Amino acid sequence: MIGFIGLSHLGIVYSLATAAKGFEVLGFDPDPALCAGLSAGKLPVSEPGLEELLHRHRSRIRFSAAVAELAKCDLVFFSRDVPTDQANRSDLDALNGLIDSVAANISQTATVVILCQVPPGFTRSRKSALACRGVKWGGQLFYQVETLVFGNAVERALHPERFIIGCADPRTRLPKSYADWLAAFGCPLLPMRYESAELAKIAINLFLVSTVATTNTLAELCEKLGADWSEIAPALRLDKRIGPHAYLSPGLGIAGGNLERDLITVKQLSGEYGAEAGVVDAWLRDSQYRCDWALRKVHALVLSATEDPTLAIWGLAYKANTHSTKNSPALALIEALAPFARVAYDPQVKLIPTADASVRLAGSALEGCRGADALIVMTPWPEFLKIEPVKIKAVMKGGVLIDPFGGLDQTACVEAGFSYHRLGAPAIGFSL
Amino acid sequence: MMKHHSLAPTKPKRVVILGASGFVARALARCLAEGGIETLAIGSSQVDLLESGSATKLQEIIRPDDALVITSALTPEKGKDVRAFMKNLTMVNHLCAFFEKARCAHVVYLSSDAVYDDSTALVRETTPRTGLGLYGLMHVGREEMLQYASNKSKIPLCVVRPCAIYGAGDTHNSYGPNRFVRSAIKDRKITLFGNGEERRDHVYIRDVSRFLALCLEHRTEGAVNLVTGNAISFYDLAQRIVKLCPHKVELEWLPRATPITHRHFDVSLRLKEFPSFQCTPLETGLAETFQELVSQA
Repeated sequence: MIGFIGLSHLGIVYSLATAAKGFEVLGFDPDPALCAGLSAGKLPVSEPGLEELLHRHRSRIRFSAAVAELAKCDLVFFSRDVPTDQANRSDLDALNGLIDSVAANISQTATVVILCQVPPGFTRSRKSALACRGVKWGGQLFYQVETLVFGNAVERALHPERFIIGCADPRTRLPKSYADWLAAFGCPLLPMRYESAELAKIAINLFLVSTVATTNTLAELCEKLGADWSEIAPALRLDKRIGPHAYLSPGLGIAGGNLERDLITVKQLSGEYGAEAGVVDAWLRDSQYRCDWALRKVHALVLSATEDPTLAIWGLAYKANTHSTKNSPALALIEALAPFARVAYDPQVKLIPTADASVRLAGSALEGCRGADALIVMTPWPEFLKIEPVKIKAVMKGGVLIDPFGGLDQTACVEAGFSYHRLGAPAIGFSL
Repeated sequence: MMKHHSLAPTKPKRVVILGASGFVARALARCLAEGGIETLAIGSSQVDLLESGSATKLQEIIRPDDALVITSALTPEKGKDVRAFMKNLTMVNHLCAFFEKARCAHVVYLSSDAVYDDSTALVRETTPRTGLGLYGLMHVGREEMLQYASNKSKIPLCVVRPCAIYGAGDTHNSYGPNRFVRSAIKDRKITLFGNGEERRDHVYIRDVSRFLALCLEHRTEGAVNLVTGNAISFYDLAQRIVKLCPHKVELEWLPRATPITHRHFDVSLRLKEFPSFQCTPLETGLAETFQELVSQA
């Protein structure tokens, strides 16, 4: 039996992926209501393919809040997501509390794997604490890098590119229970010391951030120079040093919390150990600037020209295929436009987590932009791309369409009578 | 970060403006009067901030519920040397002495974008204030002195850093819109350094006074750049002024004395903190300035 301790996004996705690989799984969480909900097939998180995964493999997975049941597991994963505060700093209290509260119930021979987003040094520091709390525990402790991506988590959990495994001593053979689990996924294994693995996770994210920042810097120049980034990106993808999967789509900075967390962790570590991390400050500054791109456009195109405008905002989640609004540019935009009439619509997010009650939530995309002077597409949900621009124009009052991600058919938008604005390319179409 | 102590716009009881004869002070006094706000403008003839007794004099004039706007400064054309630098610091030193003894409700300090040096591509409020020469450093020093005094006395301080201000009534006549307009009217020519490539942001005086009034009405605390976010080359600026003139205006070229530098601003903070405030388009501001200067001529 394989146990997953902590059933947040990470634990739910990994426990179901494990069941899908044919293992018997126990999903444990101290919250009985959460376990009851999951047992009844109610998922508290949204991910493409997750419901189907639960439905198809529910015979091999059981959810329980009874801590004693963990004793049956010979392999347990700590799988609770580590939350971040408003400054994007990790709050490890809940994870530490969870480890302390269950340690004594873990089988004395069980292998323990920490799957959570922890800073370098965490796993080694917890090794002795774990042994101390679970008095009889004599198993091995590992840290495993999770590289789930919101909106694509199921696919990445079922078909990982590789497993990065943090070990007390990477020369030691992996215990059979853990080795069998790893083998089921058929991907390369990279054992290394704890600290290397913990830093590897951060390294992956920082390389992504550097690509995002570079893309956005050049995309902005494209807008001003009359170049089009969408013409340049394919050339970069064919460069072996950059690659076909590089993050080359312009965006509104980094959001979601995980990348921001790792940037803050590197800043903290650099400060503590005296390493140069000025580039991290530059990335953070850059990200904030990109986040405000739509706000600058709204001021320049709408607020400077229209009195008492109504603004339609499509998309509240920080990206498509997720319900997460952590550091969402859409929410920042809505807040920054407080004096103006705003109508928002999102296929997944049905509550705006702000104190501002003056934002109206629409029941559909087209209802959301009825009578609006401008439409701003802040999340490129696939649902939006299916709506014909001419239908959007027909219900709107004005003709400004701000589509940062370029999801809509820009030619059709212009033909429908919009002035069309996206990241990485000059504006096209009619002005107000 | 900024804080608006009055979320809904609230007229200050009275606004005391220091530096009464200055370009901004006169425009602000006019703007506040139009808005029905009681204003008292004080010039150096009434209270000379260079004198050590000025703090006591201010104590007699300023009331606890007054808002105070500080525009007094020796501007660059009156001296860029160490003496001018020290005089400017002395003025604020005396103001800080006033804050030790007395209270007011709000302080607005008119600083300058000269607090930033020329090396940054995109300037924002968090850009390090390394100061552009002694004039820029003077404003950095004054901001810090006032911040210290404000923290101690718990009076909210708002620092407004405008870029080059244009509009009729400007006494400075520095390189930029005002000099170009005057020269186009009077001499029928505009003189540019090099090819006028440098890009700069220019803010209209009426926007400055409207913005200061907004800060006063919201009792705003924090630092903000007052810029349009749309930098333009001096050449393009000259061309726009040429178009305003009914007569032919020649462009004259002088050898460049300094390397080309540009200055652009990220205006995101202002847009977020003052979402309803819009800058006057440059064409409109220039046209109004032109008309006023023509009628004055």
